[in-house]
Amino acid sequence: MITRVTTQMSIASATERLQANAARVAEATQRATTLQAIAKPSDDPVGTGSSMQVRKEQAAAAQYTRNADDAVGWLATTDSSLRNAYSVLTKVRDLTVQAANSGTMGDTDRDAFVTQFRALRADLEATANATYGTRSVFAGSSTDAAAYDPATGFATATTAVTRRVGDSQTVRVDTSGAAAFGTGDTSAFAVIDRIVADLQNGVNVNPKLNDVDTAIDAVRTAQADVGVRHAAALTAQDTLKSTGIALENRRAGIEDLDLAGAVLDLQVQQTTYQAALAVTAKVLQPTLMDYLR
Amino acid sequence: MVSTFGSLATAYSGLTAARAGIDVTGQNIANAGTVGYTRQRVTQSSVPAVQTGFVRGTAALAGQGVSVDGIARLGSLTLDAGLRAATGSSAWAQTRATALSTLEGGLQEPGKNGLATKLDAFWSSWGDLAAHPDDPGAASSVIAAASTVASTLASGSEAVDDQWSTVRSTAATQVGQLNDAATQVADLNGRIRATLAGGGNANELLDHRDQLTQQIAGLAGGTVRTNTDGTVDVLLGGNPLVQGDTVRTVELAGGARLADGEPVSLRWTSGSAGTVPLDGGSIGGALTLLAPASGGSGGALAEASATYDRVATQLATAVNTAHAKGSTPTGATGAPFFALAAGGLAAQGLSVVPTDGSGLATRNAAGQLDDSFADTLSRLGTATGGADRTWATFVAGVGSASRTAASETTLTGLALTSARTQQQSGAGVDLDEENVALLSYQHAYQGAARVLTAVDEMLDTLINRVGLVGRG
Repeated sequence: MITRVTTQMSIASATERLQANAARVAEATQRATTLQAIAKPSDDPVGTGSSMQVRKEQAAAAQYTRNADDAVGWLATTDSSLRNAYSVLTKVRDLTVQAANSGTMGDTDRDAFVTQFRALRADLEATANATYGTRSVFAGSSTDAAAYDPATGFATATTAVTRRVGDSQTVRVDTSGAAAFGTGDTSAFAVIDRIVADLQNGVNVNPKLNDVDTAIDAVRTAQADVGVRHAAALTAQDTLKSTGIALENRRAGIEDLDLAGAVLDLQVQQTTYQAALAVTAKVLQPTLMDYLR
Repeated sequence: MVSTFGSLATAYSGLTAARAGIDVTGQNIANAGTVGYTRQRVTQSSVPAVQTGFVRGTAALAGQGVSVDGIARLGSLTLDAGLRAATGSSAWAQTRATALSTLEGGLQEPGKNGLATKLDAFWSSWGDLAAHPDDPGAASSVIAAASTVASTLASGSEAVDDQWSTVRSTAATQVGQLNDAATQVADLNGRIRATLAGGGNANELLDHRDQLTQQIAGLAGGTVRTNTDGTVDVLLGGNPLVQGDTVRTVELAGGARLADGEPVSLRWTSGSAGTVPLDGGSIGGALTLLAPASGGSGGALAEASATYDRVATQLATAVNTAHAKGSTPTGATGAPFFALAAGGLAAQGLSVVPTDGSGLATRNAAGQLDDSFADTLSRLGTATGGADRTWATFVAGVGSASRTAASETTLTGLALTSARTQQQSGAGVDLDEENVALLSYQHAYQGAARVLTAVDEMLDTLINRVGLVGRG
């Protein structure tokens, strides 16, 4: 118990208290203006660790989202190319049936058929060389200029092209051109070439319908495979979207302050400070000097 | 009955005592705002009656007035010692808390400017490269992100270096102040001893010396021992810095730069050589910060620098190992991605080797585009024992240390405030009290003057009026 209170003591302790109040007001102001619960690691060392972990997960999720978008784009391109190939081959089949049923043809008719078959073959070639960005969708990891070269066939890929859409989930985006369009003598291109040759040699093209059907089946199988992977990429996209929201909520929960709470806290500190100022001004004024004459 | 004029002398002693009281009160009021001033009070005592011999021996006699014995200094050695101890520990904690707060401020965590975010961006850039291995844009963004990580590490490490040097030079300045203060204490010791021996008043000199010993406590802790001749000895780690009017000097010895890795200590430069163990004070706090790293328990700054190096080394090793498995577009395998400069600090010598996509491992052994290497690299950030984990642990550690130091500062600050309040309660000047004292001395003076008048009138009656009855 202090029995003697001196002028210096009152002034010193008043100064100290005002200083402490001012510091609290400054801190509350900083919190209310930045709305950050953790301005520096010592505010909450454990929270800082969690915050860094969440930010890392957010960066990874953003990366996976970009990858998933890319995978969806790549697979959509593949899908539309295969649909295109399917419709070209259907036309080839229709034309083959027509040619087989035309009986004896004149040169003009035959030339018309040949021209149409060649146009469809060119279409199919363009489809086989479809690109997504700078990459041929049917070339896989190959660095060749085109996926399909009429002279050498499809480029060979040594590894699959994948996109990482989760910590332990990847989606394969490339499709083997050789599988979808066939290789060597059984390829769709070779089938069209043989039909053209038969037409020119006057051979009935009807037996070639089986070959065309086989080529169509190959394309449809590839299409189904792409469809499954496309669906997986789309699901990953959706999952990543909700993961992103959940992560942002977690980050906000750790790092951000509630506006109402922060403002209220600031108001309380300000009121306390003003009260301290008013009280100090009243207490420090009088000494005995004021009453002696 | 004493001599005729004895009462005049008694009244005069009262006047003198009152005037001395007013003088001392005046000194107190004049120094009401002086830092370190200790209030003073006149000590006075009554003078007993003189035994005049056997003739009147049994008669009751009044005393001979008042004597001014001296001017007392109303301080308390115990409270002064408490204030010194509190000053020492407060300065120690304050120095540490300030340095740790600066250190954690430099980390910029958590937030988008911190190393953790830069590392995340680096790993993401590998993810983009995995998706677009033939894209020169993705390649250059990997190199740019890597350069950002390297420069963040380098600037962080340099900032710690600079802070170490600043703390050391501040401590060196404080050692100079310590030597100055010790010299002044020794000088004052001599003057105080001489003054007291001559029966003089050394109160103001004592105030001045107390200020200096308190300054020494704030700089280096230590203890103060009071001697019977009025001098004080100042002891640092049990050995005297000041003894009577002799003084020993100290200096800051040891490593001049953080990279030296040598401990910094305070050493005696005169008398028997040796290290001065410090238990408090800002120099003591600075020395704990300047200690070399020793597996996590060393000085905070050296440990921070070592962590930057460890992050740089782990990053370079992990990335290079994964990167070496792939081939570059030119067909080279085992190409490094990061290079560490030989010698010096790893964090400041980290550099990125490839300058464009031709130096990045985007191909497999067959020379075809292979995203597996970039994908592995993009996932290194989550590896246990990786650079990211080391960094996160370090940041949380600095945060905890800074938090502890801050609360220690608050506690020692409260103790200091309490010690100062206690000390001021005894030694401080209270204006109300001085006003009351002034009033009472004023009245004492007036009373003594009144006695003088009464005696004067009495003598006037005796000398001029006695025997004049009946005269016209």
